[in-house]
Amino acid sequence: MSVGFAHGVLATMAAYAVVGVILGVPLVAYGLGRIDPAAKSAPWTFRVLVFPGVVALWPLLALRWLKSRGIR
Amino acid sequence: MSATYTSIGWTRAKKFYDATIAAGLAVYLGLFAGVGLAAHPDATAETILIRALATAAFLLLHVILSIGPLCRLSPRFLPLLYNRRHLGVTMFLVALAHAVFAIVQFHAQGNVSPLVSLLTAGTGFQTFGLAALLIFFVMAATSHDFWLANLSAPVWKLLHMGVYAAYTLIVLHVALGALHAEVRPVLAIATAAGMAWLLTLHVAAAFHERAGDRPAALVAGWIDAGPVAEIPEGRARIVCAGERIAVFRYDGKISAVSNLCRHQNGPLGEGRVIDGCITCPWHGYQYLPGNGRSPAPFTEKVPTFDVRVTGGRVYVNPEGHEPGTPVEPARV
Repeated sequence: MSVGFAHGVLATMAAYAVVGVILGVPLVAYGLGRIDPAAKSAPWTFRVLVFPGVVALWPLLALRWLKSRGIR
Repeated sequence: MSATYTSIGWTRAKKFYDATIAAGLAVYLGLFAGVGLAAHPDATAETILIRALATAAFLLLHVILSIGPLCRLSPRFLPLLYNRRHLGVTMFLVALAHAVFAIVQFHAQGNVSPLVSLLTAGTGFQTFGLAALLIFFVMAATSHDFWLANLSAPVWKLLHMGVYAAYTLIVLHVALGALHAEVRPVLAIATAAGMAWLLTLHVAAAFHERAGDRPAALVAGWIDAGPVAEIPEGRARIVCAGERIAVFRYDGKISAVSNLCRHQNGPLGEGRVIDGCITCPWHGYQYLPGNGRSPAPFTEKVPTFDVRVTGGRVYVNPEGHEPGTPVEPARV
């Protein structure tokens, strides 16, 4: 892999992760309960456990959160 | 796990399972370090640690991949399946530790960014390792039941079948990395033996499962599930007509539901009726036999099938109903 391509790959991954962390905090704090009612009263330990997955799959969860608010 | 994702607490079995993993890992790392330093007194502690973590993760991966087919071949291995995700998360953490130490040891000492160095140096074996680690991260991060419920079981299962892609990447990582530099055949033989073991197990399990997919005889369009007397009380007979159907006998009644648990497609027909509920042998998910619904507050449903008993034999209509449809059980 060339150095330039490696920089590109790493920059893309970093951007994805940063957006995931930024969106992940409100998603985990408020959005999970809208996506899944069973998560509404879940304790903080549950939210910590699912946070890495939220960062990894933030586009899917963001879409569902928007849909739950009636935003298409 | 409860219906509201509130941790119920560690059962005795879970504590034993996790303690065994932790103890096994500690013993393995200690033994590897001891034998490694004795055999290679010139090796640095960092190198021994990196190799110990790598081989531990690789071995754990083989154990994890063996559990599924072993459980298909014999129910005595089921206790290993119940908390397999704990093994998976442990394997990811061990692999992550290996990656961090390796990056610090081999890529952080120069003037190039460590991750750029990782992706551009040598034979490229590090790239395969990083790709596998990313797959393991996604799997570990989505191992909670929240993801199973919200990704849907088929999507979650497809995501976690990525373990086979990760295994392939790890074999390439080992072949182009450690094996490339190794002169003795021990590591190559061990890697090949691991692949042969997994392939043999999976093929054996496939042949074993194929036997259960033989279509049952039809009588006037109904599946002949055999004599009532041959179905033990509280247990099921599994028949096949395109899909597998579990025919349960309980409290003087016969009911039939899909053999596939909504949780992770476990074989309901290999479970038993406990407290009036069909109980999946894999993770304990339950369904009422009369309507295929999980008892409140749970919401899972499985398809149900019409049954009748004539001349002491059970017959099942292969045309199933929508999941959760009540069906009058046959009386015996």
